[in-house]
Amino acid sequence: MLNITIDGKQIEIAEGTTVLIAARAAGIEIPTLCDHPQLTPYGGCRLCLVEVDGMRTLQPSCTLPVMDNMVVRTDTEKTRDARKFILNMLFSERNHFCPYCQVSGGDCELQNAAYHEGMTHWLLQPNWKPYPVDASHPYLILEHNRCILCRRCVRACGELVGNFTLGFEDRGANSTLVADLGIPLGESSCIGCGTCVQVCPTGALIERWSAYQGRETEVEHHKTICVGCSLGCGIDVLTRDNRLTRIEGDWDAPVNSGVICEVGRFHPMGEDRERILTPLVRKNGSLKAATWDEALTIVAEQFKGKKGKASGFISTRLPIEALDIFHQIFKGLGANVTSLEEGMATKSSSQLAEEIKSPYEARMDSLTKADCVFVLGEDITKDHQVISFFVKRIIPNGCKVITLDSAANGLDNFAAISLKAKEGTETEVVNTLTTALKTDKADLSDISKLACINTDMLKTAIQILKSSKKIMVICGQTKVKKGSSGLLKAAYGMAKQIGAALIDVKGGANSLAASQYHLDEPINVEGTEFCFLALGDERPSQQLIKKFEKVTFLVVQSSYVSPLTANAQVVLPVQTWLEQEGTYLNSEGRLQKATSALQSADGVRSSLDVLTGLAEKSGIKINTNWKTRLTERVSPVTIE
Amino acid sequence: MTKPKVSSDWLAGCAGCHMSLLDIDERIVKLVELVDLRSTPITDLKHPDEGGVDVGILEGGINNTTNEEVAKMMRKRCKILVSLGDCAVFGGVPAMRNFFTIEESLRRAYVEAESNEPNSKIPTDPELCKPTLVRAVHEVVPVDVFVPGCPPDADIIFYVLSELAQGRIPDLKKDKLMWN
Amino acid sequence: MATQKITIEPVTRIEGHAKITINLNEAGRVDHAYLHINEFRGFEKFCEGRMVFEMPYITPRICGICPVSHHLASAKAGDAVLGVTPPRPASLLRELLHMGQIVQSHGMHFFELGGPDLLLGFDADPAIRNVVGLIQANPELTLKAVTLRKWGQEIIHIVSGRRIHPTFAVPGGVNKALCKEDRDLILSGLDTNIQTIKTGIDIFRSWAVTNKADIDKFAVFPTGYMGLVTPDNGLELYNGNIRMVDSSGKQLECFPAKDYLTYISEHVENWSYLKFPYYKKMGYPAGVYRVGPLGRLNTAEKIDTPLADEEYKRYRSMYGGKPIENTLHYHYARLIETLFAAERVHMLLDDPDILSTDILNTHQNPQPEGVGVIEAPRGTLIHHYWANENGQITKLNLIVSTGHNNWAMCNAVDSVAKTYITGPEITEGQLNRVEAAVRAHDPCLSCSTHAIGQMPMVVDVMDAKGNLIKEIRRNA
Repeated sequence: MLNITIDGKQIEIAEGTTVLIAARAAGIEIPTLCDHPQLTPYGGCRLCLVEVDGMRTLQPSCTLPVMDNMVVRTDTEKTRDARKFILNMLFSERNHFCPYCQVSGGDCELQNAAYHEGMTHWLLQPNWKPYPVDASHPYLILEHNRCILCRRCVRACGELVGNFTLGFEDRGANSTLVADLGIPLGESSCIGCGTCVQVCPTGALIERWSAYQGRETEVEHHKTICVGCSLGCGIDVLTRDNRLTRIEGDWDAPVNSGVICEVGRFHPMGEDRERILTPLVRKNGSLKAATWDEALTIVAEQFKGKKGKASGFISTRLPIEALDIFHQIFKGLGANVTSLEEGMATKSSSQLAEEIKSPYEARMDSLTKADCVFVLGEDITKDHQVISFFVKRIIPNGCKVITLDSAANGLDNFAAISLKAKEGTETEVVNTLTTALKTDKADLSDISKLACINTDMLKTAIQILKSSKKIMVICGQTKVKKGSSGLLKAAYGMAKQIGAALIDVKGGANSLAASQYHLDEPINVEGTEFCFLALGDERPSQQLIKKFEKVTFLVVQSSYVSPLTANAQVVLPVQTWLEQEGTYLNSEGRLQKATSALQSADGVRSSLDVLTGLAEKSGIKINTNWKTRLTERVSPVTIE
Repeated sequence: MTKPKVSSDWLAGCAGCHMSLLDIDERIVKLVELVDLRSTPITDLKHPDEGGVDVGILEGGINNTTNEEVAKMMRKRCKILVSLGDCAVFGGVPAMRNFFTIEESLRRAYVEAESNEPNSKIPTDPELCKPTLVRAVHEVVPVDVFVPGCPPDADIIFYVLSELAQGRIPDLKKDKLMWN
Repeated sequence: MATQKITIEPVTRIEGHAKITINLNEAGRVDHAYLHINEFRGFEKFCEGRMVFEMPYITPRICGICPVSHHLASAKAGDAVLGVTPPRPASLLRELLHMGQIVQSHGMHFFELGGPDLLLGFDADPAIRNVVGLIQANPELTLKAVTLRKWGQEIIHIVSGRRIHPTFAVPGGVNKALCKEDRDLILSGLDTNIQTIKTGIDIFRSWAVTNKADIDKFAVFPTGYMGLVTPDNGLELYNGNIRMVDSSGKQLECFPAKDYLTYISEHVENWSYLKFPYYKKMGYPAGVYRVGPLGRLNTAEKIDTPLADEEYKRYRSMYGGKPIENTLHYHYARLIETLFAAERVHMLLDDPDILSTDILNTHQNPQPEGVGVIEAPRGTLIHHYWANENGQITKLNLIVSTGHNNWAMCNAVDSVAKTYITGPEITEGQLNRVEAAVRAHDPCLSCSTHAIGQMPMVVDVMDAKGNLIKEIRRNA
């Protein structure tokens, strides 16, 4: 610990801390622009300059490490003059039009910095060289006139997301933010996660959908959980007048620390399906509005006495509380009861856990120290994007990525080695690798022929795995539908062999929870006379719609109109994920509470209420001790 | 003590700052007790008194030869000159014209516009002023007080005028400082 | 006597910058008067490259008196280009915003800009012939006028969050709903301000009786007329199709805004930065038409709110049912519209959808171009945008309100100059009347030239050789 004095205050601070952080610990806020708590310090804007006794020039506090007995002054005439001068230069460098900018009036850190210094005008006028507006991207606008070259976006794209799309070209006054080697953002390797927009201090990066929807002072914040996939990232949902205006990553969330992907940030903004606002009952061939009482009574009536001929299906986007009640109602009474995921992403991992009788998976934070990551069974850059961010961003630390896939994989460009195996042979490949790692004497020619992988590639992969000290195996199950079962078991075997951590990505938001309730069988409605489909706000695929075409009595509990609701006998309107609250079990075993961000319309109920109402009408006794039932089955992860 | 004389004018602006001044609503009665309003765009006196006025207010930036003349005359005849609004202080939205040549802008409006008659030409009558580069007022004449905003809030304008009326230079900070 | 030229520079108590030059012939009578609009900013060029959704925030900077008009016309053009229809509550809120603007702009013009000529007299001392003079001459009335403008501005403030240059409309709707408390707050000002408008109408009508001779010779001439109308030709300021009628009131055309290029063309004169729109089929200048209050009340055949309609019937019956051609009746028409706008405010606030939070549609179906139209206080405002597939403006065309009145204003200046400047002596009051000819139209010249401009007032009397004979300065 070192002793330093800041603005007359004496404090003790750990060695290696920067003066900026030390000042914050002493309750002093030094103005900054390019600095960001989640990104490595850059020292580019020079706004954080401070006076340090014994040092001739002003020093950037964000990059200066504290020294023992240092005396720092943050708010002197010299530092104030310097800040004013720097801001004047920043404004003169490009073209800042505050009157109509989307972040003007409180949300622009540059403007706020000027207010802080009491600036009423610019000492230097711009020379009005025009800079372009890059509007090629479907989600983002890049307005170069407002860029202050702080590089926060470049650092975020690299350090937080690991995609490294953004960079700078040229020098001095010609320095320009570019995507890849200077191509329009919409044609680049950008994956549309929007992390750059979240960190941009000015209006240089703007989201199309949330532009002009409301400033900080005009919106409400709701911290909740994204239900886009099993990872359960923490998000901050901004609303105004009960309308979704923007979704941001929650910097304080333990799972993702502020990073989210396009599925979580932008897909909900494009939601435009028609809502169902009242219960509907089919009368004389067409669906007519009905009361909740009427609708639920009809459903309960139909459900009675159909034991063995009733089926129930539930979406994994719904909270555990709903899954649990659903399970209590249908277990034993239904012929075919499962989730809409049909266990495809979780069956293997759940069975394995039961086999070995204990949890075996690691948590995501094991990744931070990994020097090798082996990804197989899924393209995580598609449906579990944030997990792919965690993997990509440790590559600059020396981590080597190996992918095993039968098709092109979004991680191929980042991988040290991409093994392309013939479809259906992945399990054999893994087993062979395990043997090779065990014995040092494996014959690779057979597997090479079978899987169509060059032996040199296999050798390199083995070499990498051998020489790595901390290996993480990330396995998915969605690519093994076509019969290569046992992939997870093989991955488990390999992990055990080499002492690697293993993570199975699983599927949707409550994918694992569904499995815990044994809701992981395939859908088979043959012979059922009654079918209850708790769809929630899920968008049904064509395949799913087809499955229910011939069901005689279909009840659909759903937020949106779809071909499924059009064919149903009874439709029960429910809240969307933004309107409901409930608990989610993420792929690592974390139980997280989602809160509601929007109020649903009057005629709409939560999925939980609907299922509870159904139980009541059916005379089925239920209780709310979901936690006990959830942990009855041995789980691949430790649930807490 | 005689009331301070105040003159105002508008240049390459939109009149929004003067409208914001009128947004002081009933306080206009108080204002005319504090100051002697001389030439403004909404009164019928056309120029500040030749003998000089105490406070001159300019809204709008400078984007033609006539604006330059007016700014110079205001500077000459006004003891204290105030730049009112983002256009006067920074150049403002009209300064976006600086990204193009004046020729391009004139051509778009008078030759190319889809509603124009064919073969229309850019006006060149000597009675008309010539467009120039768009500038903030202080790029042409020295300015004493800057009141940014687009437009500045009526409360801020009233504060500025009251301060000047009582012989003080207004100090704009915190909630009185806004650029949007 | 040699020919002379008189210059009036600037014209005051108007928005924007204008200069009038009056050429006298050898007999000292007015040969011709010109209204030079000396402003040009270039919005139609420098908005290229901006995003369509930014336009409702850039274009209001064309004018600080009617920024709401541009904000809404731009949002409507944006709706058209991005292929999205706002939900009904959003349209109601946008119209409510617009009515607030009509009330404040018209109210301000009658009492504070054009009004002083009527209330204090054309020949009154220029030092007091303004709003300050009104405060001194009739503080009670002035306070009522200030309250009327304030009510209009507060409607804008409450509905959108800001009085001038609000952030409110986005393509597909608006970003802020109206809550019950705010609705009641607006409603609470209704009765008092309707009274003030009625007082204004009474003032004008009694002035009209005393000054009938002037009204009947002050810039009275036939033109066509244009404005938005409801499906059965009622006065419309927000929605509807554009209707054009000839000088006798007979319909020439009725078309949706998107077809405006088929019917409207613009003529350029070398001596003004403001172009001259006209009805294409009749050519220039036969096809000129007037817009704004006088134009709109000649184009419509009724008003769908009771108090305004009653006054409208009285107004239209003044000259045997023919369209009203007298420039000074712009003031009367303006007050009737203010009454209509106030009554519309009431109707909108009573609509059950006005408190709804269903205020934005996001599903877009982008088109290559789109047109938005609205009746700004001063006339028909047209925003036409072309955009690329990224939603960036590639080009834009704006025909702004006062622009349609350019020929009429020039003609009014010429006519009034010829009517009132008769002898060798030129009085300040005569020159003021020439200015009043412009003022009656309530021109928004920054708007209409999307431009620049400024003019001081000096009258130079020069001989044919350009030698200065006399200089009349107005406290300059």
